[in-house]
Amino acid sequence: MKALDIRVDALSHFYGRFPALQNVHLHINCGEFVSLVGVSGCGKSTLMRLIVGLQPPTQGSIWLNGQPPAVARAAKQIGWMAQQAALLPWRTVLEQVQLAQKINPQNNSTAVAHPQDLLKIVGLNDFAQAYPLTLSGGMQQRVALARTLAIGAAVWLMDEPFAALDELTREALAAEVLQLWQQFQPTVLWITHNLHEAIRLSDRVIVLTPRPGTVAGEVGVPLSHPRDDTSGEFQVILRQVRALLRWEKNDGA
Amino acid sequence: MVREKIAPMRIWAQLCTICRPAQNWSGAGLVAAVLALWEIAARLADIPSYLFPTPMVVFRYLFAHLGDLLLAGGVTLLEAVAGLLLGTAAGVTLAILILFWQQAEQGVMSLAILIKSTPVIAIAPILTIWLGFGPGPKVIVTALLTFFPVLINALTGFRTVEDALLDWLRSLNATPREIFLHARWPGARPFLFAALRTVGPLALIGAVVAEWMGASSGLGRVMWLAYTSLNMPALFAAVFILTALSTAVYQTIVWLEKRALFWVYPSN
Amino acid sequence: MLYRKTIGLLLILLLTAACQATQPQTLRTMTFMAGFRPQANLPFVGVYVAQEKGYFAAEGVAVQIQHSAGGGEHLQLLAAGQVQVTTQDAAVLLQRRADPGLPLVSIGLIGQRGQQAFVALAESGFQTPADWAGHVVGFKGTPPPDLFAILAANGLTEKDVKLVNVGFDPRTLTEGLVDVYPVFKSNEPYLIRSLGFEVTQWEAADYGVPTLGLAYVTTEELIQTDPDLLQRFMRAALRGIAYAQENPEEAVQIVLQYTGTGADAAHMRFMLDTELADAVSPNGFGWQSEAQWRALADMLQSYGALPANIDVTAAFTTQFLP
Repeated sequence: MKALDIRVDALSHFYGRFPALQNVHLHINCGEFVSLVGVSGCGKSTLMRLIVGLQPPTQGSIWLNGQPPAVARAAKQIGWMAQQAALLPWRTVLEQVQLAQKINPQNNSTAVAHPQDLLKIVGLNDFAQAYPLTLSGGMQQRVALARTLAIGAAVWLMDEPFAALDELTREALAAEVLQLWQQFQPTVLWITHNLHEAIRLSDRVIVLTPRPGTVAGEVGVPLSHPRDDTSGEFQVILRQVRALLRWEKNDGA
Repeated sequence: MVREKIAPMRIWAQLCTICRPAQNWSGAGLVAAVLALWEIAARLADIPSYLFPTPMVVFRYLFAHLGDLLLAGGVTLLEAVAGLLLGTAAGVTLAILILFWQQAEQGVMSLAILIKSTPVIAIAPILTIWLGFGPGPKVIVTALLTFFPVLINALTGFRTVEDALLDWLRSLNATPREIFLHARWPGARPFLFAALRTVGPLALIGAVVAEWMGASSGLGRVMWLAYTSLNMPALFAAVFILTALSTAVYQTIVWLEKRALFWVYPSN
Repeated sequence: MLYRKTIGLLLILLLTAACQATQPQTLRTMTFMAGFRPQANLPFVGVYVAQEKGYFAAEGVAVQIQHSAGGGEHLQLLAAGQVQVTTQDAAVLLQRRADPGLPLVSIGLIGQRGQQAFVALAESGFQTPADWAGHVVGFKGTPPPDLFAILAANGLTEKDVKLVNVGFDPRTLTEGLVDVYPVFKSNEPYLIRSLGFEVTQWEAADYGVPTLGLAYVTTEELIQTDPDLLQRFMRAALRGIAYAQENPEEAVQIVLQYTGTGADAAHMRFMLDTELADAVSPNGFGWQSEAQWRALADMLQSYGALPANIDVTAAFTTQFLP
């Protein structure tokens, strides 16, 4: 698969008269892992939905590899994961993965990988015939991850996929995502409000201010993996991100 | 910004524990207790049989005429089931029509409410004129009584899809047809079965009412004949058969539901 | 009388033979709808017997027998052409002709006296309708002119009694909800007695009020388009009534084939005997005259139950009577 770059130009979005996002500029390179942090309600999820093309922006434009989101979507280049695993309760784990390949069959991605192999990758080999309701939250998100791999998406849009899980599971799954990113090299846009997680995973951390959401600044993370969040360099970056968030807070006050 | 919604999955998980069949024996025991109380009360109060017969009198009549009553029950059951199937098919079809063609919603719903609020008595003779003296009018009356709850529940079911699931399907560029087949239709099944549980026993009532208004066979006719000759044991015997059929229809629907909603009712 | 009957019978046989000679094997089909549940109302019995004894078959008519639930749908179905012959009380026939203008025609007046009557429990001590004053009197649907006629004949008006709609349920009488209950002479008195109560009965005819009973009814259109079918039907049905008069026990057994499970043979016999007694006419079963219909219409009109200027001659025909 070939990763895509994401470009967001002068993007503003309104819900009625309420501005959710204002003049957002972003550029995420091919194969880059970028985190988007900010307090709840700062418009992170809205930005994500606009990039997938679930709704059109009020102003500005979004380009995936120079084309509108609809093109990438039609080509099944977008892997979407949210806090809810969004599984079909009436299908087995294996069938969930098969369905991801079956939908929108013009772009049949069966060739990308065998569902059974993908289940092995995410560690669900023994649960192929299980129904989602019998699985833990962490396992459900593993199924969602396998689905994302199954379509061979070039862009992973991940809207706090593990936020509903317990701390230990969340860290373990985040580590796996990192590993899969290194293996498959997609472009990843990762939303979180956990600063440690953002810095541990991404190449760059972008900070959004709330009401209306706009880019406060960004901090590069030039550290090699695995990253030690007790290290001095890590703490420096963390302070920089915090400063951006605090600046935003003072500004708001 | 994102609307909060209780995840349907969680609702199903709860349904799972609530809907476990009650202990069969406690149900039978309760019915027996009610019948016993009725018998004792009627005897103590010395209520004449033509006003309110005791269960013993009813059972005596019931077993003396079991063949005829079962035959009549069979006719009513067939009419009810045919009407139920027709009504369900109509309800689901209309719900799909509204789902894919929003503009039709107002028109279809107005018409549906119009039909729902038309007294059966008013249209029964017209149905006989169109469809003759056979089971046709009874099937239509039953269908008219049953389609509305199915329509409402099917529509609610089709529209109650987890937002996250819809977003995921749309992120794959799924067509409305694919979204219907993979998410809306299976997701609506619990709602459909909830409607069927209500509407199943109602279908039998519909068939009986239609028969009461003119039929050459069926429980409704038996009840009407019994009433017009003040034969209360016969009337109640027919009612007993009707309640037995009602229970059977309900249990059949529950049985089907467990198979259709296998993810709600795990086999182990 | 006997002479007339023999002639009539011979005539029927001859006609039958003639019909069969001219139109061999052409089986006509039609639907008869009895105006109420299967029971021993005389017009019903005539049809049941004609069916079971093969009189319809002998006339070359295959008759499908249906029953109305008593909600008036038999008249609707008749007017719609789904039914060719039904039964109806003469007074209601006139009223439906006037409003909504159904083209109903009596082709045989079986009940020469009306079957409507009023009963009170014997224990009430009521001797004449004058005793009803201050008591509750039931009616079915709308208060019938008969009731006003009885009240008037006894020096009362409707203001002297309390009128309530009771529908069909004689238990309202036995349980004391009403003091006077409207009945069909051939039906409820038997039911009430079988519940263990004696009753006193009054009917309008006893007070000089003209009443008529059940008639075989068809439409003006069918009389125009298919008199042959009606002729055949009437011949067989009247023959059935005559047979029932001669063989009431057998007739009751035939009725029981239609009533189904749980019918009371003694009740059916009571009904048959009561209606046979009121079916007697000097000119044979089914006879009707302008004088009879005129008297009924006048009575109905005098109580505002029928508009003026009704052409009673259009409401009946004797062309299918022997």
